[in-house]
Amino acid sequence: MLSNRSFALRMVLWSLLRRRSRLLVALTGVTIGATVLLGLVTLCYDIPKQLSREFRSYGANMVFVKDQVGGRLTHGDLESVRETLPADRLVGLTPFRYEPVHNNMLPYTAVGTYFADVRLTSPFWRVTGEFPSEPGQILLGAEVAEATKLQAGQRISIEGRNTNQDRYSKDFTITGTVSTGGVEDAFIYLSLTDMEEMTREPGHIDLVEASLTSGGTPLGDLADLVRRNVPDIEPRLVTRVTRSEDTVLTKLTWLVYLVTVVVLTLTMICVTTTMMTVVMERRKEIGLKKALGAENKKVAREFLAEGLMLGVLGGLIGSLTGLLFARLVSYSVFGRGLNPEFHLVPLTVLVSALVTVVASLWPVKKAMEVEPALVLKGE
Amino acid sequence: MFLKMLLGALIRQKKKHLMIAFTVGLGVSLATAMLGVMFDVGDKVNQELKSYGANLNVIPKGSSMMGDLYRLSEGEGEGGELSELESDFIREDELYKIKMIFWAYNIVDYAPFLTVQVGLNGQKVPLSGTWFNKHLSLPTGDEVDTGMTAMKSWWVLEGRPGDDADPTGVLVGRELARAQGLKVGSNLEVQGPDGKAESLKVRAIFESGGEDDRGIFAPLALAQGLAQRPGLVQRVEVSALTTPENDLARRAAQNPGSLTRLEWDTWYCTAYISSIAYQIEEILPGVRVKPILRVAQSEGAILSKTQLMIILLTILTLLCSALAISNLVTANIMERSVEIGLLKALGATGLSISLLVLCEILIAGFGGGLVGYLVGLGLAQFIGLSVFGSTVAVKSVVIPIAVLMVLTVTFLGSLPALKTLLGLNPTEVLHGR
Amino acid sequence: MLNPEISPDRILVISDVSKIYGPIKALQNVSLSVGSGEWLAIMGPSGSGKTTLMNIIGCLDSPTSGRVLLDGLGLDSLSSAELTAIRRESIGLIFQQFHLVSYLTALENVMVAQYYHSLVDEKEALEALENVGLADRAKHLPRQLSGGEQQRVCIARALINHPKLLLADEPTGNLDETNEAMVMDILHSLHKRGSTIIVVTHALEVAAHAERTLVLEHGRVASDVRNQPYQK
Repeated sequence: MLSNRSFALRMVLWSLLRRRSRLLVALTGVTIGATVLLGLVTLCYDIPKQLSREFRSYGANMVFVKDQVGGRLTHGDLESVRETLPADRLVGLTPFRYEPVHNNMLPYTAVGTYFADVRLTSPFWRVTGEFPSEPGQILLGAEVAEATKLQAGQRISIEGRNTNQDRYSKDFTITGTVSTGGVEDAFIYLSLTDMEEMTREPGHIDLVEASLTSGGTPLGDLADLVRRNVPDIEPRLVTRVTRSEDTVLTKLTWLVYLVTVVVLTLTMICVTTTMMTVVMERRKEIGLKKALGAENKKVAREFLAEGLMLGVLGGLIGSLTGLLFARLVSYSVFGRGLNPEFHLVPLTVLVSALVTVVASLWPVKKAMEVEPALVLKGE
Repeated sequence: MFLKMLLGALIRQKKKHLMIAFTVGLGVSLATAMLGVMFDVGDKVNQELKSYGANLNVIPKGSSMMGDLYRLSEGEGEGGELSELESDFIREDELYKIKMIFWAYNIVDYAPFLTVQVGLNGQKVPLSGTWFNKHLSLPTGDEVDTGMTAMKSWWVLEGRPGDDADPTGVLVGRELARAQGLKVGSNLEVQGPDGKAESLKVRAIFESGGEDDRGIFAPLALAQGLAQRPGLVQRVEVSALTTPENDLARRAAQNPGSLTRLEWDTWYCTAYISSIAYQIEEILPGVRVKPILRVAQSEGAILSKTQLMIILLTILTLLCSALAISNLVTANIMERSVEIGLLKALGATGLSISLLVLCEILIAGFGGGLVGYLVGLGLAQFIGLSVFGSTVAVKSVVIPIAVLMVLTVTFLGSLPALKTLLGLNPTEVLHGR
Repeated sequence: MLNPEISPDRILVISDVSKIYGPIKALQNVSLSVGSGEWLAIMGPSGSGKTTLMNIIGCLDSPTSGRVLLDGLGLDSLSSAELTAIRRESIGLIFQQFHLVSYLTALENVMVAQYYHSLVDEKEALEALENVGLADRAKHLPRQLSGGEQQRVCIARALINHPKLLLADEPTGNLDETNEAMVMDILHSLHKRGSTIIVVTHALEVAAHAERTLVLEHGRVASDVRNQPYQK
């Protein structure tokens, strides 16, 4: 025995399934809305994070030095800093050690560092040739290379004295030159391990550069955190980078938000008009049902169920395409995939259903206000 | 007759056509706003990125760069001796030429620097002379204000900003001020390298977050006097709006001579950082212009990413609004199945019905599109004003794009529905089967 | 009121009804009473007001002035929701344009009326289709049915809730002769079983089936006569 409820359900289902072209039109509308909704909201979540990563190409935004003048940090300090800073925001952490050295009786500054880390914290370095990858290799600043007339492949002899005034001297192979238009051009770079071996004085670090993405705890608070957790260390914000990043990133984020709001509003209105057109076409049917003695409530309930189904289905399909949309943008712009925000899917479905239902109930209400006789006679 | 039917349909089916006009209007306003923002976002972001400071360093050919990011131990290796050769300096009275290169309007700001080590209470302190906000009258008749104040936007000042007309007013770095107990308004006396003393007054204490915090910034003439290098500067920092680098620009930066004539023209007439550098070198003999890659490279990356992002967003939104419009048109035509069936039953050909329906929709769409365009302009300005605080210059190319889009979309959107309906048997449609 | 004629066998009493649309007087002082089990034909040329009268009887419209009693119940001063309820309970409607829900099968179209009335009952609906000779077409969609078949579905739908009054507006207007005969046969058998039927038509041959013919002209009753018993 068929119950009234399942008959109503059957009516709604047939209305959707047997009017395929209309269903397609309505579903397309809802799906577009849901796609834009989820796609843009996901991007809104994602773009500020991604952009913040892009801004890291300006290099370090926090540096650490010993808090007393002339003091030096240790490898232990470096590790404590690494442990204290949140791993998901740390783009790179690079130690630097500066030593005055000589080549051909001329003074230079040699810098010991880890090149893998430098690539992360200073992506703006332009290296002609290659970064050193093995012990005994060295990278010259562009100005040093110019002054010494040396180039990649040639060897250079470095000599100096350590703090105990013991002489040291070592030959290196040049792998390339670095140019940045800044002080880096005047330095000689070698791996920190090589430098410790050469000077026979391991363990010193003069300065540590950190590149941290924004979002979450402010950088100033992170600096305080390090100051508390690591003894005798002085964290400093590179204000030039942090302050500019704050202003520019805020504006770009706002741009994305505003564009999203505008696009979303307009799209939702579009979905509404489409739904309204599709439902308006059925004024006759509404008139007929009323002539047969249907209560307004019952007719409205049927359309509500129909809208709900359309909204949910369109919302689900749209969620899928929306995630693809967001992924596509993220991949082609930032070259990175993004974490699909799955918790946004129910929200998208809910909003789609809501918009669809509201959009279809309004014309139903309008149609019901008209005398069924008028509707049935045809306009 | 056609016109009468068209007019009749337009006037009597006001509601339906209003709906089409409305949706098309929405689509167009979206397109206009997004395209407007898209074409202008590059300039806007570029302007914003200027807050990172200079992206070009102009130095005399002979010298090497002595600027410092993180100087480690004070005094060490820093003799503070200025070169005796005039070729190691740039002439101050030639600097106006920087504003006369091909890309002059892309030079946002520039400021010269001359740093001299001065004695302050027995300590050696770097004193840099510069232009704070210098007014220049160019031979071209243009008036230009340029200097350091605008370029170092991240500096936090306590007190009054630097003034080129105040010969003894200086800005003191926060760390130096703390070490020496200086306050805004304090007087201090410094000795030049050869013992010449000057009595100065602190206009402001600044915080730059860098090594500058341990130094003094003064009007250029004061530094020149202390250093006894009248009319000379050591280097000039230039902040220019640039186009992100591409392959051509990278090749040109390596060696401009390697380009073909055509490539060279393209390169020279594009605001690449390397071509601007090249043009400054052309106009100021005896200098070397080095891009500050930390700024220049990052600018390029961020600029191109932002532009790509907005372009993609625009394309996708246009696609969506196109789909939505054609969807609505389909719905509209379907709704009119009875009317179309009737026309067919009366003997109208498929072509004449299509023409009638298309004309109606296009006229409604055009009306909506016009309003939508104006709304879109408003939206673009709203976005521009609220994000960047300046209006968006909507390029005129947006109009044909928007019009073309609406025409194509409404036309293409109508076709499938029309085709289905025209394929139907008129009696079937009329009998509502 | 004037001669209310309230008696148990009067299913419909209309007294002095007028309906005015702006400048147009569709009905002027029409009075009419229909007995239980009676078959009445309302005739008249286009624009005579017959559809307006039918809409008023069918609770689809209300008169500007005058009184309508349906089964002893006054229809004036009822809200549109109450009119809907009366329509559901007491009236079966048959339209010239059939008006079937396009996406429901014949059987489901009949069940729609059950659904809005009380409870769906597939067996009963199927029987109703059987009565109009459409048992084998129950699972067809309206577009798969001929005009006559569609109209018979409409009749089955109109009858499913055992209305006190069957109201048909040009029921054969869109049908050929064979189908017209079939529909009239159904009406005859309904009449025999005691249904009250009002048919609005402009065709004499359709009106001839009825027991009584009311002719409207310019919104007024022009004549109200008993017909000869119908002969095949």
